[in-house]
Amino acid sequence: MIRVHSERSVDQSGQSDRAIVKQMLAAGIKALTGDGDERDAWARFVSPSDVVGVKVNCSGAPRIMSSPTVVAGIVENLVSVGVPAKNIYVYERFDGQLQSVGYPKLLPTGVNIYAAESNRGSILGYDPLTYVEANFFGEDDTRSNMIRLVADKLTKIINVPVTKEHQAAGVTGCLKNIAYGNFSNVDRSHRFEKTNTYSFIGTLAAVEPVRSRTVLNVMDGLHGVWQAGPFSNNERFRFYPKQVWFGTDPVAMDHMLIELIEAKRKSEGAISIFERSRSILGDNRDPNKNAFIREPGHIEYASTLGLGVFDRGKIKVQEIEL
Amino acid sequence: MLLALAALVPSLFWDSGPKDAQKVKDAGITHIAVPANQLKSWQDVPGLTVEAASLDGALQLIAPTVNYRVNQASASRAPWLESNGWRFLRQPDGRFYYDVKDVQAALAAAEAFAFGAHALVKTDDSGLAPLARMQEFLNGLPASALPTIADFGFLDDGTASTGELMNVMIRHNLLFRRVTAPDPSLHLNMRPDHASAPNLLVQEIREKLSDDKRSIRIYGSVVVIARLQAANGKARVHLLNYTAGRNTAQSIRVRVLGKYPHHSVAASGIDHPELLDFAASPDATEFTLPELKVYAVIDLRQ
Repeated sequence: MIRVHSERSVDQSGQSDRAIVKQMLAAGIKALTGDGDERDAWARFVSPSDVVGVKVNCSGAPRIMSSPTVVAGIVENLVSVGVPAKNIYVYERFDGQLQSVGYPKLLPTGVNIYAAESNRGSILGYDPLTYVEANFFGEDDTRSNMIRLVADKLTKIINVPVTKEHQAAGVTGCLKNIAYGNFSNVDRSHRFEKTNTYSFIGTLAAVEPVRSRTVLNVMDGLHGVWQAGPFSNNERFRFYPKQVWFGTDPVAMDHMLIELIEAKRKSEGAISIFERSRSILGDNRDPNKNAFIREPGHIEYASTLGLGVFDRGKIKVQEIEL
Repeated sequence: MLLALAALVPSLFWDSGPKDAQKVKDAGITHIAVPANQLKSWQDVPGLTVEAASLDGALQLIAPTVNYRVNQASASRAPWLESNGWRFLRQPDGRFYYDVKDVQAALAAAEAFAFGAHALVKTDDSGLAPLARMQEFLNGLPASALPTIADFGFLDDGTASTGELMNVMIRHNLLFRRVTAPDPSLHLNMRPDHASAPNLLVQEIREKLSDDKRSIRIYGSVVVIARLQAANGKARVHLLNYTAGRNTAQSIRVRVLGKYPHHSVAASGIDHPELLDFAASPDATEFTLPELKVYAVIDLRQ
């Protein structure tokens, strides 16, 4: 994977610089493919005939989400490759969160902004025939259905998660954004302190066509959350790595996300996300407390499903400084 | 023996005298039940048919609704459905009445109809029009005398705690037949155990039946109660939205055991409703109802 850092990418107010981000995207994608031309690099992942979904993460919006500058930069490159704007979908599950960001302001005319649940809880945006069925806690509705747009229309997906800790999953990166972000009725897996995120995230991420159509992960590390994620209600827990990551292996990238979050937490004097003692259960305004037993092991589990490489010794990270 | 649901459209019970006749008629009510001592005075009112009725000896039902209990800690986020279904099953020949307002009058009529119960609906001015619209809807449904489907028997000892177990099973859309002794015609007969933790009983039943073999499943909503009648290649699905459409209409996916390639649908308050993503496989029939305001009836046939 490629990790591009620029100290100038985010200002002191937390706003990202569109021009710098554009440079980061260019440097990252070229390094990932080895191409000298940015357009050639993007053309390895998408073609003009594709219908492309940009899976953003807005679960902490409007405070933290896939940055509009990153999303706009990706979309610009898709258009430059020849993908018509009308065949590009910036999408998320919940309309309220998605609309709170204001992506259209930075996007070319014609790009679709799509939410699976225009009415929260509606199942109409999901494919009734593509689902994972599991009974976790005796819930009546045991199905999690894939977003219909994904099942029926998209031919490629670019996954744009954010570098965040997650109260239940440990971290929420590539795997969780592509899994819980593409299926309905997933919060049922983490309703109680002991969750089922360990196996459910990888299981969902392995479902076709999500698995094969997710061709590229661009992790937004311009900003992040190191406690009480995926939301960012407490500014104290927000931080600014000022990075953008590129890769095709969601497991490897999420392994590196664990390292990032753990390092930040250590520097803040917070317990590890691997701490599983019940003594940590409590009000997560205290960084040494949490509402759940975190399951960062979901990433290693996903590797057993063939979703990527977890072995740190086999993960190659190229650092680029701008 | 399976019990057939008789199509009983609940009547309005009105005891304020014929001075209210015009507003009752203006709301769309065409038939009312009145105290016997008012019967004669109502019989002269044109445009209404009248019957004598009494609430004496009838069991007053709770107002059907959803209680979200958002300010109470609980082990579940599932909202509480205030349903009278278990009362109907316990007293299939009982006499009941609701005293409800506004759209709850419509839901009350639909609930009693879906369970085949004899019930009157007492309401005020706010409930007249919703009730009238629901009565019109119910009267317009094709007649059906299909037997009610049960996946298991449940031994009812008549106690309050067992009544609550029945209530919870109905809320979880577990189709049972109330029995007083194990019914050998059923694969499963359950005793009223777990009185202090009804959800444990629900889980035990689901494990024993297996969800795949339940006659009906509901996906996408926790505020919808389903009933099922079926025989001879036909089935009727009743769907009740306990929000009564006040907060939001529900979109739900329904799975019915058995292959029924043909269907028709009627939904209260919705013109020309359609089922989406209809799929009839050898094992089960599935469909999506995109909007459920208060009550819908889906007729299936092979």
